[in-house]
Amino acid sequence: MPGWAELVRRPADLAREAPAPRTPRPESLPSWPHGFASSSADREALLILSGLATLTARKLLELAVEHPTAAACLAAVRRGRSGSAGDRERAVATDPELVRSALRAADARMVAIGDPEYPESLLDLFDPPAVLFVRGRSLASLTPRVAIVGARNCSESGCDVATGLGLALARAGVGVVSGGARGIDSAAHRGALAGGGRSVCVLGCGIDLVYPASNRELIDDVATSGAVVSEYPPGIRAEPFRFPARNRIVAGLSRCVVVVEGAAGSGSMITADHALDLGREVFGVPGPVWSPLSQVPLELIREGATLIRGPDDLLQDLELAQVGLRDGTAPPDGVSEAARQAWDGLRAPTTPDALAEAIRISLSAALAALLELEVRGLVRSVGGRYERRVGDDDG
Amino acid sequence: MYGRVLGVAVVGVQGHLIRVEAHVGRGLPSLTVAGLPGAGIQDARERVRPAVESAGFTWPLRRVVINLSPAGARKEGPGFDLPIAMGVLAASAQVPGTHLSSYVFAGELSLKGELVPTPGILAVAIAAAAAGLAGVVVPLANAAEASLVDGLEVIGAPTLAEVVGFLRGSWRPEGIPSERTQEERVDGAAELDFADVRGQGMGRRALEVAAAGGHNALLIGPPGAGKTMLARRLPTILPALTRAEALEVTRLHSVAGLLTEGRLVRDRPFRAPHHTISAAGLLGGGSGFLRPGEASLAHHGVLFLDEVSEFRRDALEGLRQPLEDGRVVVTRALGSVEFPASFTLMAASNPCPCGFDGDPRRTCGCPPHRVQGYRQRLSGPLRDRVDIALTVPRLTRGELLGSTAGERSADIRGRVEAARERQRARLEGTPWTCNAQMSGPYARRHAGLTDAARTSLADAVEALALSGRGFDRALKVARTLADLEGAASVERQHVSEALVFRAPSHQEPPTVIGAGVG
Repeated sequence: MPGWAELVRRPADLAREAPAPRTPRPESLPSWPHGFASSSADREALLILSGLATLTARKLLELAVEHPTAAACLAAVRRGRSGSAGDRERAVATDPELVRSALRAADARMVAIGDPEYPESLLDLFDPPAVLFVRGRSLASLTPRVAIVGARNCSESGCDVATGLGLALARAGVGVVSGGARGIDSAAHRGALAGGGRSVCVLGCGIDLVYPASNRELIDDVATSGAVVSEYPPGIRAEPFRFPARNRIVAGLSRCVVVVEGAAGSGSMITADHALDLGREVFGVPGPVWSPLSQVPLELIREGATLIRGPDDLLQDLELAQVGLRDGTAPPDGVSEAARQAWDGLRAPTTPDALAEAIRISLSAALAALLELEVRGLVRSVGGRYERRVGDDDG
Repeated sequence: MYGRVLGVAVVGVQGHLIRVEAHVGRGLPSLTVAGLPGAGIQDARERVRPAVESAGFTWPLRRVVINLSPAGARKEGPGFDLPIAMGVLAASAQVPGTHLSSYVFAGELSLKGELVPTPGILAVAIAAAAAGLAGVVVPLANAAEASLVDGLEVIGAPTLAEVVGFLRGSWRPEGIPSERTQEERVDGAAELDFADVRGQGMGRRALEVAAAGGHNALLIGPPGAGKTMLARRLPTILPALTRAEALEVTRLHSVAGLLTEGRLVRDRPFRAPHHTISAAGLLGGGSGFLRPGEASLAHHGVLFLDEVSEFRRDALEGLRQPLEDGRVVVTRALGSVEFPASFTLMAASNPCPCGFDGDPRRTCGCPPHRVQGYRQRLSGPLRDRVDIALTVPRLTRGELLGSTAGERSADIRGRVEAARERQRARLEGTPWTCNAQMSGPYARRHAGLTDAARTSLADAVEALALSGRGFDRALKVARTLADLEGAASVERQHVSEALVFRAPSHQEPPTVIGAGVG
């Protein structure tokens, strides 16, 4: 039996061990045949094909090798050549005119492969969608684009960071790409909108729907100033398997991806993986090592993603001009002496009594100081502990 | 063949004198009770005859009619066994009628003729004293309880035979332990003390303020944060019960059958009903004999609702009335009954269904709409009556080790009593005795804010989006903070501290969805 010392791996051993390979890419990459969606019959066929649940972009690509136009693919599906039985029935029963009027009602349009508006960067994907449905401005007018992704159930500070990043990118003239989920996604869009900028929201459901429904107003705002994108036609419900697919489009549309918070095994990692597959740069915002929400960014940073501390780092790395945001470490001015002391004492989330003890003032005085900072929007209370707020100072 | 004795029907906590008439006449042997007897008294019919015979007396083998007068109101209570038995004995001339009109009889009989402990005896004794009667004849076990009432002769009898012996002049009760000697007992019962609490300085402070101003409080925190531990110690810093208050509390507990050994309740009650409690259990009621609910058992003490958002909606809704008026009125088809219920409410809740929202080391897995629904449930009925809200974090090991043990409850109670005294003096001439009771308009006119305090409160209202009611609550709590310090006017730091204890805004979505910028 070997001694324990033989079992311990040293840094040198670790370096020798190759990192686990990412999703292997197929040897031959089929691409969309030229003129796949050129005729009006093809475009009509795409309205139907895009709504079939099991006919993923990849399956459609494989089908297109033998059937080089969308209309031919539809005919093949109707014959049962690909897709499930349910899809076959649906392919026969769907009236393209209904889909088209639903698109019109949602104020959306279809952008097919080969159209001038089809974003070229999506072609880097190994399974680019044959068609995108778009509400709002032309995607071509929304460049360059940077994705901000992260956890749905993020912390308040993570939310602040995403808002701050969205705001900074918007002010620097960069389009923000994110999903339509709550948490980091929403915060990034809100930041971009507050910065007077444009953002691109990629949905995991039909272009006319909003999931979660509480984000309806936000997504309408995004559609007004930027664009809302989905590879699904109107009426397709949000389902768990559509979100990983959505994430590849987020990565594909963007020049780089910033991961703010994510628990191990979450969708943020999927987006980052897609970005790495596409050769996009990945940035991670670190968090406390003990927080479950820091696990994805920390793991990415450990694997070589670029660490950013806030908007300034990101803008610098993207070679964009600074826009002057407070990063949460600069002391506030114009507050009382006690409040400044309290601010200094809040290096990490702290209970008021621990803070009072640390800076040697009475609990009442500490509470008064914390309230002063809270009224100024500099700190907030989360779960009984006070923490500094980061983000916009004079927005 | 007629006899008449006095009994007491207990309605709510109020005793009403009842004349129990007995008539033994011609007819087949039977026992009829007239005069709207409740189910409990109908039941007594079956016990009284065996008890009388077991005690060695003769049951008249004739038609016996009992009438409870006045006949208009329904009578309840288990204490009618003894007066019915005495009525029959008087009607059959087995006891002399000399003392019958100056004593009230109350007590439940066993089939052997023993007098068993009976709930509500204190209410009986109070009613007897109020009616100017000489004394009460009660089960021996309840004698100490009855003797809490001044100026009343208490005859504690172990069995029916002794009661008859007393009326015949052949038996006298031994001296019962007077309540004065009981007062001497060492006050070691309060084994809970704030000195045992490590850390939780905010919790201690919030409870001190709650105790000082009579404010209701809400503690929000994850499981294991120490909410219950804190709440249990609130009674230890409340001012001691006055004798009048103690009697009121004792009477309620007596009616509920919770009094043991007939002692005066001197510690402030702490009631912590489970969240599955029914509205009747919480507020009082029940079929037949109306019992006081947990809200009334917490009278002059603390009602602690742990997991408040899990309580039944109707039960929480029902708490509005006692929180407003300090009493519960239970209305039944046959009339309504009032129970006093003036308590300090302590509510505790998890921040979200899973309990981990806001915890830096755990992820909350609750969808936001469920968190919001959860918080609304907790805020709905109680929102306007809870002045102090505090989020209690689960302390990390480091935070616990770094913190010092707290002050002793007795020291805190000293400050609380002084603050209460200041409030009483200031609120002289109003219907209120503590800051929590002040009406909003009164608080706004008479809180005594300095100009600096007023400005900072106005700023905070703006920045923290405080509602009008939130403003009033902050004002009252600030007043209490000033009273705790002995300050005549409410200074800026009082307002600031009060605002820290404000209730979280209910309109706001829970933590996750982006805070607007700027």
